[in-house]
Amino acid sequence: MDLQTSLQLSFAGMSAQGTRLRVIAENLANADSTAQTPGGEPYQRQVITFKSVLDRSIGATSVKVARIAPGGGTFQRKYDPGNPGADAEGYVLMPNVNPLMELMDMREAQRSYQANLDTITAAKSMISRTIDLLRS
Amino acid sequence: MVATIANAVAAYANAGRIGSAGSAAGGTDFADLVKQAAGDAVGALKTGEAESLQAVTTGKADLTAVTEAVNNAEIALQGVIAVRDKVISAYQDISKMPI
Repeated sequence: MDLQTSLQLSFAGMSAQGTRLRVIAENLANADSTAQTPGGEPYQRQVITFKSVLDRSIGATSVKVARIAPGGGTFQRKYDPGNPGADAEGYVLMPNVNPLMELMDMREAQRSYQANLDTITAAKSMISRTIDLLRS
Repeated sequence: MVATIANAVAAYANAGRIGSAGSAAGGTDFADLVKQAAGDAVGALKTGEAESLQAVTTGKADLTAVTEAVNNAEIALQGVIAVRDKVISAYQDISKMPI
């Protein structure tokens, strides 16, 4: 039944957006994770990508997390000689996480999740009202 | 009239894919239909229960998966109950028919 298929698709979307939020949380939490050894690399921001997959069991195109890969961007250098990760000149590489970008991404994930939730509510009420036809 | 309702139930079972076992080739029996529909609904409920139990005991189950399973069980149960009520009321109508 198409309505039940749409429910499954929306749940898949919610799942994917949940993973997206997890990645964002990871990035934000590690926004200050510097290297542990002198001259080492700090935390690298992760970027999530999605892909559409044909789910043959329901005959519809569902969404899945394609991969979570390190994102681009250069590390900022910060003068902090006391830091154990500082190089010979006293500079520490900071992670390439931009909190503003992450917050924007978070909003997007939130909205997308909400859209999927609304689809579920709509499909569920359509199913329930159809079943109610039987009762009257 | 019973035949019409049995057809309706069969159509519903096919459309909703709740009748996974399929009816016997020699025509559908009312008792079989109810049994099968109820069995499938119970199966859906069990899936939902298993997911919820896993969530409660291990705390590791995916929240979305739990919601999905419980949701499916709820819809299946709603459908089966509606069909059962309809068929039983038809049965009662017939049994109360003055001869």
